[in-house]
Amino acid sequence: MNATGIKFGLGLYTALFIVFLYGPLVVLGILSFQTGPEGGPQFPIIEWSTYWYRHLFGLTPPSRIAPLPIEQALVRSLTLAVMTMVVSTVLGVTAAQAFRRKFRGSGVVFYLIVLGMMVPGVLVGLGMALVANAFGIDRHWWGTAFVLHVVYTFPFAFLVMLAIFNRFDPSVEEASWSLGVSPARTFRKITFPLIFPGVLSAMLFAFTLSYDEFSRTLFASGRDLTLPLAIYGTFSVEVHPNVFAFGVLTTLFSFALLGTYAILMAMSVRRARRVAIQEEA
Amino acid sequence: MIFDLELKNAGKVYDNGTPAVIDFDLSVAKGEFIAFLGPSGCGKTTTLRMIAGFESISSGDMLIRGERMNDVPPQRRPTSMIFQNYALFPHMTVRRNVGYGLEVKGLPRAERDAKVDHILATLDLEDIADRKPDRLSGGQRQRIALARGLAVEPDILLLDEPLGALDANLRKAIQNELKLLQKRLGVTFIFVTHAQSEALALSDRIVVMNQGRVEQVSPPHQLYTRPNTPFVAQFIGRNTVLQGEVAGTQGEDIVVSTGVGVLSGRANGRTADKGRVNLVVPAEAIEVHAAATRERLTRGGTTNLVDAHIESFDVVGHISHLTARLLDGRTVSLEAHVDKYQPGAFPVGSGVLLSWKAAEATVIPAH
Repeated sequence: MNATGIKFGLGLYTALFIVFLYGPLVVLGILSFQTGPEGGPQFPIIEWSTYWYRHLFGLTPPSRIAPLPIEQALVRSLTLAVMTMVVSTVLGVTAAQAFRRKFRGSGVVFYLIVLGMMVPGVLVGLGMALVANAFGIDRHWWGTAFVLHVVYTFPFAFLVMLAIFNRFDPSVEEASWSLGVSPARTFRKITFPLIFPGVLSAMLFAFTLSYDEFSRTLFASGRDLTLPLAIYGTFSVEVHPNVFAFGVLTTLFSFALLGTYAILMAMSVRRARRVAIQEEA
Repeated sequence: MIFDLELKNAGKVYDNGTPAVIDFDLSVAKGEFIAFLGPSGCGKTTTLRMIAGFESISSGDMLIRGERMNDVPPQRRPTSMIFQNYALFPHMTVRRNVGYGLEVKGLPRAERDAKVDHILATLDLEDIADRKPDRLSGGQRQRIALARGLAVEPDILLLDEPLGALDANLRKAIQNELKLLQKRLGVTFIFVTHAQSEALALSDRIVVMNQGRVEQVSPPHQLYTRPNTPFVAQFIGRNTVLQGEVAGTQGEDIVVSTGVGVLSGRANGRTADKGRVNLVVPAEAIEVHAAATRERLTRGGTTNLVDAHIESFDVVGHISHLTARLLDGRTVSLEAHVDKYQPGAFPVGSGVLLSWKAAEATVIPAH
């Protein structure tokens, strides 16, 4: 095959890949603009409308379709995601810092940490439920489920930070000590600002993984549902396009989160560039 | 006398049992410029890091101004280290980098500013004081690192190959600056390098290290003229090392029977005067004569005559480059001004005689 042929083949492959990647999302987006309340979650679009978006916020006249029971679930999920993000990131950073030096049993500890993201979620969730029952602990999203979320997301934060520290030049810290700065202050004032982009990535991982965690939460969260569970609950009755409208909104929220992340990352880069421009001027 | 730095049988063994530094002994007076010189992996950087406190000391003692420092953490030692990659704080301006040590010490703002201004001026960094270091040139970053290290007024400044990352011209210029700065400030400098020329140009004394051991501690010119060990003889300068057996003494000279004749050199103080020895002849000490002049030379009392053949003889500009092969097959290369060995003086393949004054050759133990 000649070069043009290979190019065409690869181009087609990439195009198909993108179609499969974003196809479901696009379908979801289109169907969310189905008319309501009589329109269902299927093609063709009877009439374009924002009915289901208004329905989400209770702005439509009452109909036989109940509003999505997600308000509290959304608050719970966001709270849980933030809690998880904070704890996992702190654990991830400190654990990775510990792993910068070899210590006795570091190999075993490494695999024990990473196991948290490897074991099947359903099993861990079920296990947690059984343990909680055995010890008479009440299951709550902020208790048993929270612990599982941390167990799950901490390894991601840990691995991100491990990669960051891998490229980190320790002589910067040594230079600081040698100027008379204590190790604790060196970590806060020298190390942390330099690894901050990595910390942001770890936070992003922990937040998004926790925000749409399903299998672990299913068994461990008890009575009060998190958002993924609440949405799943509505499927068991009948699927209406309001779920799609909500899906579009959460996707937009995720984009906003990614955007914030990108802006924060770009800020340090731009600051460096501005200095460079002043220099040339 | 209280030394700025004393190492007493200091040793370092890594966790896996590999010895990195063995029985390091050294006393450094205030204001001395000391170079640790040796091939990579000889333990010179490890020793420097032991002085800074980044590596623990496994055996022996380390004292700074008479105080034992073995277990004092780096931030409480009166030392400051300059790193090969400078290790500047990329998120701080040049001024903040330089002033950071003083800032942390809690010096009042005004006093700190005055000190920082002074050191910035000393190292000609005022124009870039408000920039971040990452886009500055190697030479500038090097000076920032120096300024930062000196700002905290250490008793001892430790420099780990600080010129290694610079290009040759800049290295030469900064080398001179560094020497002047050190003399002016009177701070003790300990400098690690694998480049002979740097060590020779900068230091008052050189510590030559090999495989974790100190081979010799001497002023630079003595490393040339009086090497102590076979390693130093091979490592420093361009010496011809002839193995042999002591045949006797003749006044101050030691006569050695070698594979290319019975030759003599001077003892260097600690030389064994019997058994197997090495005769070390610096290239600079060797004179080349045409073979036909043998009789005249012998009559004139020239000793240490060695037969050789010219292997190559080139004149480049005003320097004559000459290589001669001895009877045992080894070659000797040397250079001299063209006036001394004029073009055509020694045709390639012709027989010559090499000679040197016994006082300029050194007899050292074989091991």
